[in-house]
Amino acid sequence: MNFTNFDLDQLFSMGDDSNPLLMIVWILPIILFVFYGQQIQLFVTSREIKKGLKKLDNFREESRTELINYVKNNLKVKNDPVKKIDKFLEYFTIMPVDMDPNGIVDKVHHTVRSREDYTRSHVKSLSPEMNDIELNKIQTLLEIASSLQMIYKIVNHMFLTAKKQNNYPLILPLQMLLPFIMEQAEAMIEAIPAFKSDQPVGDGIGPMVVGKMMLEHEKETIAFQTSLSKIDFEDRKLFLLKAEGPASTVGRPADGLEKIMSENKIDAIIMIDAALKMEGEDSASIAQGFGAAIGGIGTERFQIEAVATTNNVPIFSIVVKQSVKEAITLMTEDIADTAEIVRLQLNEMILENTKSGQSVVIIGVGNTSGVPQ
Amino acid sequence: MIFSKKKITTEYTVEQCTKCGTLTKRKFNHGDVLFATLLKCASCDGHTRIEKIFGETVEQ
Ligand SMILES: [Zn+2]
Repeated sequence: MNFTNFDLDQLFSMGDDSNPLLMIVWILPIILFVFYGQQIQLFVTSREIKKGLKKLDNFREESRTELINYVKNNLKVKNDPVKKIDKFLEYFTIMPVDMDPNGIVDKVHHTVRSREDYTRSHVKSLSPEMNDIELNKIQTLLEIASSLQMIYKIVNHMFLTAKKQNNYPLILPLQMLLPFIMEQAEAMIEAIPAFKSDQPVGDGIGPMVVGKMMLEHEKETIAFQTSLSKIDFEDRKLFLLKAEGPASTVGRPADGLEKIMSENKIDAIIMIDAALKMEGEDSASIAQGFGAAIGGIGTERFQIEAVATTNNVPIFSIVVKQSVKEAITLMTEDIADTAEIVRLQLNEMILENTKSGQSVVIIGVGNTSGVPQ
Repeated sequence: MIFSKKKITTEYTVEQCTKCGTLTKRKFNHGDVLFATLLKCASCDGHTRIEKIFGETVEQ
């Protein structure tokens, strides 16, 4: 074959724009994209979401199986627990109406507390002789399983609705949110082993610091699943508060604080907690600040802020930054190593912000799984 | 996914002697709880206490 007299123009008929066949070749894709572009994008995006959805479905199933197996293997259950557990997983919570925000915190507080109490008593009914550590563990596992169940349901609903209506814009928010949802879901599924074997999680850094200070001191239960020790430090009185470990619980630090403040004159509150790090920030970096460092739905923080405001007491915080996953899975070495540094910063903070003879409440906020006192 | 690597987390327990401060790192045993006082120290007559329990994740 002779390549030298290759004529490009001839091959593609570029010099001749009257070729109708070529015009169709150019125009057809344009028409296709103008009228069906969204459907094509929908098709591509759905494949991506379907993959995520499949993963979420596996997570949901896995967490449920883990929970059922744990209950069956570790507790003396009288009847088959599967039916009961499936019923727990389907429980929903209807948050109070917020059209009239006056008093909303109390209402949310009441709803959340009732749900907690209700699940606790029903989990207990699975096996009445279950101890508190087991009870808390199963409640935590149940919470993980039902959250994963809920995540799957919502994502699936959004996806199916968009598909059914062939509606590309409807699938866009899902596509944007999916990576965040997956990160959260993956963290939850990886949290199961740590909670199952009573190990400390990243969120437990606050309780770990305070728990160590409480060792070898007298402890009292000041609020539900919340422990208090009073110690002396450099001529100051310290009220150490943390959830009662080593069960997996966050306790009720706000109730405890309220009670302490009603009986004692307090001059400062210091909270130690894990905080979500921003993307790009180093894991296990420590930061100090002002205000109440406590996560959750917001009612505890509200209560703490309220009692501090009424008594005109400043709140200081020390936080240890970590990712969503680090916060709920087995503690990393970097985070465990911060315990000593946080302790030193805490001592400094006490000395800088209080005078001799004054009293400070120190709260170790977070899940106290595997962290005794 | 094809490119995702399998992650394996190994659990460790670190014990420290309350008297001489010697640190020992070992694999986590079931039943290890933070701050639990354990056996006699290997280098003195003090007791060891669990100071840290943590996981190390390696990608394979
Ligand atoms: Zn020793």
